Amino acid sequence: MSVLSFLAPLAILVESHVLDPRQEARAQALMREIRCVACENEPISQSGAAIADDMRNRVRAMIADGASDAEVRAWFSDRYGEIVLFRPESRGLSGLVLWSAPLAMLLAGGAIVLVQRGRKSDAKPVAPEDLTDDAA
Amino acid sequence: MIEIGHLAAFLAFGFSIAQGWTGLSGDREAAGRLALSAFAAMAIAFAALVLAFARSDFSVELVAEHSSTLKPFIYKLAGTWGNHEGSMAMWCLVTLGFGAAGAAWLRTDRQVFEARAIGVQGLLGVGALAYLLFASSPFLRLDAPPLQGSGLNPLLQDPALAAHPPMLYLGYVGYSFVFALAAAGLMEARIDRDWAKIVRPWAMAAWVPLTLGIALGSYWAYYELGWGGWWFWDPVENASFMPWLVGSALLHSIIVTEKRGGFAAWTALLAVLTFCFSILGAFLVRSGVLTSVHAFAVDPLRGGLLLTGLIVYGGAALALFAWRAPALKGGPAWALVSREGALMLNNLVIAAATATVLLGTLFPLIAEAAGRQMSVGEPYFNLTFAPMMAALLAFLPVVQGWSWGKADAGALLRWIGGFAVLFLAMRLLAGVLREFPAGAALGVALGYWLIFGALVEVGRRGLWEWRAVGPSLRRCLRLPRRVWGMTLAHAGVGVFILGAVVETTARETRTVGLAAGGSAVVAGWTLTLEGVRAIEGPNWYADEARLIAAKGDRQVVLEPQKRFYPAARMPTTETAIHRTGTGDLYAAFGDRREVDGEPVWTFSVYYNPWIDMVFGGVVLIALGGVFSWVPRRRRVDAPVREAATT
Repeated sequence: MSVLSFLAPLAILVESHVLDPRQEARAQALMREIRCVACENEPISQSGAAIADDMRNRVRAMIADGASDAEVRAWFSDRYGEIVLFRPESRGLSGLVLWSAPLAMLLAGGAIVLVQRGRKSDAKPVAPEDLTDDAA
Repeated sequence: MIEIGHLAAFLAFGFSIAQGWTGLSGDREAAGRLALSAFAAMAIAFAALVLAFARSDFSVELVAEHSSTLKPFIYKLAGTWGNHEGSMAMWCLVTLGFGAAGAAWLRTDRQVFEARAIGVQGLLGVGALAYLLFASSPFLRLDAPPLQGSGLNPLLQDPALAAHPPMLYLGYVGYSFVFALAAAGLMEARIDRDWAKIVRPWAMAAWVPLTLGIALGSYWAYYELGWGGWWFWDPVENASFMPWLVGSALLHSIIVTEKRGGFAAWTALLAVLTFCFSILGAFLVRSGVLTSVHAFAVDPLRGGLLLTGLIVYGGAALALFAWRAPALKGGPAWALVSREGALMLNNLVIAAATATVLLGTLFPLIAEAAGRQMSVGEPYFNLTFAPMMAALLAFLPVVQGWSWGKADAGALLRWIGGFAVLFLAMRLLAGVLREFPAGAALGVALGYWLIFGALVEVGRRGLWEWRAVGPSLRRCLRLPRRVWGMTLAHAGVGVFILGAVVETTARETRTVGLAAGGSAVVAGWTLTLEGVRAIEGPNWYADEARLIAAKGDRQVVLEPQKRFYPAARMPTTETAIHRTGTGDLYAAFGDRREVDGEPVWTFSVYYNPWIDMVFGGVVLIALGGVFSWVPRRRRVDAPVREAATT
């Protein structure tokens, strides 16, 4: 860290706020979650657009001011609409369906398998080596 | 010249119709000859197209739009498939190629089955060719040819991306023949051990290039786009990932069909669905219903036609499936704790994971229909897809030694205990060393767990099983190729996960602005900007920065470029990457600014630890596929085996 602060004046900072590593990691994660409003389907962490610069700086500024991740997301969502969030909100019917569907599908699939299998108690063991390799 | 190609494509169209007709009526010999003829004709058509690109014949509309004399020769050739029409021509070529390969190499004692498979492949060729000839013809001339073409997308002027579409299409379209074999098997309601033995090599022949094709695309995105990442859960990436997932499920399910005659209906369904997902992928990419950074050649009408094709072929196959599936015979009974049970779990989770990717990819459209503007990106998949797959993979070392029918569950608890210990160790170690969060530590533990599990499996089979012969390393090396294939692929998944988790968790990113002589520190490396100079290439000019990166007594030069292609009026970034052995120091050139009248250049600098393991892991996975491609045929089938399954 001491090396960094010694050399920092030489680099003209494009990043508006210098954050400690933990805050920086949070900021980076948030920047991957927030969609650039000027580009197609790119998070602000990747975008070269000027507005993405501003949006990145806004994330840094809010984190430097002690905002929580949820507060940063809410700020962007209020300002630019829900579409800027790559981590969709779980509220509403759409959100509920989106977030519950993976587990629901897994459980439903498991239930179907169990029902389909039905009564299969007469299974006998066969060593895999007899069958695994075609050479055998 | 191009007219000869156009004519040849029509000829291929005619041959394919005849191939479909004779094949479905059961004439193996005629269908085979027609398949070879169709492929030969299509090869001529494709060659004519490549020739037009090689000679920069701008009287051909496609060449005028997508090529330029200023382009290096090799990218002129690659330009053939770097656009919608040309890539559809490649789709046709591969479809007919697989038909011809089937005609040449399918040698079973089931003539009618073979004929029908070749016939169905012919019908798939008819659809692809109709789409090519009537909706996206690459063979059209211009009345007034321009003197210079308008160039290819400069992002595509790259070796990895030149090889990416052929690989991807071998995979995507390779599954068309698996589809045809499934349809032929369903027609006679015979999806049995014989069928699986015939089909498995074909499924592998599509899966290996698809794996490599996805990896190439990802590698390209990593070093060319300058974003430091390698997978973005972008709709276009998902479109290629879904067929891969279903294809992977198929490779596991077909083992049960091959060895036990079980899962017959499910295997047939997967064989059909994999190709459906390939067409769906083409539809998603080409129709423009989803916006993506990778998409090119977006056109709603063409999208509609692709969707129609998907509905016609997919619908027909599913109807056939619904009609015939009840007549398929199942395998012998199996307990939940058995090899069948383990492979069922594999298929269940992969199916749910694929459905999740599909849902996440399409959800913005669904939400929009419901009046809500939503985006679904990386965080969603990291929170849904990743844990599902991780849970499945955690079982892998435990269950891979289970026997068919019924296995001993007792060992399960010991293994779970082993994993828990490993996880705690990783949690502790990662926490101390790198401040990893719990999820990442779990991922690291999982990676080591899979590699360890693969080694144990080889050891178990090679050293401990055949005690009669005595333990020896030689026995390990003499294990069947398929066992090595499985081991390599599973270890590859472990290597990939290690790389992926460490890279995404510990990657360091900084955006810095440097004046000449200025420096900045990233991940312990001090980068000093010596200067920026203008350079010129064959069809581009660029600003090239010279950054000196130093760490301790090591010193390297990074020369990232910002290129401009005048023919396409488009800038690109050429990243500079220094491979340290344990990670990449990666610099991408940003823009130029004025600060107090002085020029300042911005750079995105990344340190990506363990990144080689991401791509290396995928290569191992593909290599595993190559090893288990075709079974060794040295020994004659043991009679015991037949007795065990009848």
